[in-house]
Amino acid sequence: MNFNDPTSSADARSRTKVDTAALLPRIDELTLEAARLKTLAVAFERWHQDMIGMTAQNRTMSSKGEDLASAARQLIMLSLNAAIEAARAGDAARGFVVVAAETKTLAQRVQVLSGDIGKTLHKSELMTTTTFQDIQAGGKMMMAAISGLELLVKQLRSGIS
Amino acid sequence: MISDHSKRNIELAFQKAARASLVRGAGDVCEIVPTEIRKAGLPHGGRIVLITISSFIFRLMTIFRLVESPATRAYFRASAADQTLEDVFAEFANLCCGVLSRELSQSFPHLAMSIPETLSSHCIEFLRELNPQYLSSYLITINDSVRLQATLCLSCSAPVEVADSAAAAESGHVVGELEMF
Repeated sequence: MNFNDPTSSADARSRTKVDTAALLPRIDELTLEAARLKTLAVAFERWHQDMIGMTAQNRTMSSKGEDLASAARQLIMLSLNAAIEAARAGDAARGFVVVAAETKTLAQRVQVLSGDIGKTLHKSELMTTTTFQDIQAGGKMMMAAISGLELLVKQLRSGIS
Repeated sequence: MISDHSKRNIELAFQKAARASLVRGAGDVCEIVPTEIRKAGLPHGGRIVLITISSFIFRLMTIFRLVESPATRAYFRASAADQTLEDVFAEFANLCCGVLSRELSQSFPHLAMSIPETLSSHCIEFLRELNPQYLSSYLITINDSVRLQATLCLSCSAPVEVADSAAAAESGHVVGELEMF
């Protein structure tokens, strides 16, 4: 630019005006894209609903797991009582002693299994819930970022026009 | 992935948040002592309140475990007798995480928080499944009668640097023990 030439600054202003005019359609595109991105909220809401369903299912499974653990404890008590009664009955109940012992073994296996299932359910409950919360917070975070972007585009447009 | 300096700043921010939000009145005494997750000496069973603060590169889960007692119920339900202890306490936990989130937003402009969820306290045993890079736990006592445990669990996918904040400037407070996995 020639600073001594009064016409050169006018040329520069004119060029800037042309450039900013060319920018406006791009700003329109940005505005449209930000608006499209905002529909992500619909997808987040869908994931949110799915996760609510999964969380509810986890809770139902946890409740059933606790019922199973309770049934296993009762079964062990029952098998112990059966063993005592069989011992009292003496030789006449020799066969029943075997059945009582097998019942006890089975009850102990069920108890171990129900303990393992309980642990798996607690692990699943934690992992599902933390994932759910991350998606929930992530959705809010992205919507806030898009709103920030929209505001910047708006400021850019008003600065140009 | 996360420096000791950043861990310390998260702990200071949490302690500031806990002192400001878990008490009902400014005159209440809130004592925060570092503990190990499994050795807090709290009774087994019960429920926990879980809240997640997420950024693009990390998620910080805060887990509150309340010890149910007449003193605890009287303290938290004093102004909300029509609500369950779980619901009332979830609101206190939510406020606490709100303050913590604000503190952390000084380093991470895009942060957001989930709503609180309650889970079985047995879930705490599986925190290592979340691949945490940082884990610390505290025993919190309010007015020598109300007891709860708070655990911070951070998983990250890129280096996390938490800058000093106002909480760090007031760092006369105790810093929690780290439990490494």
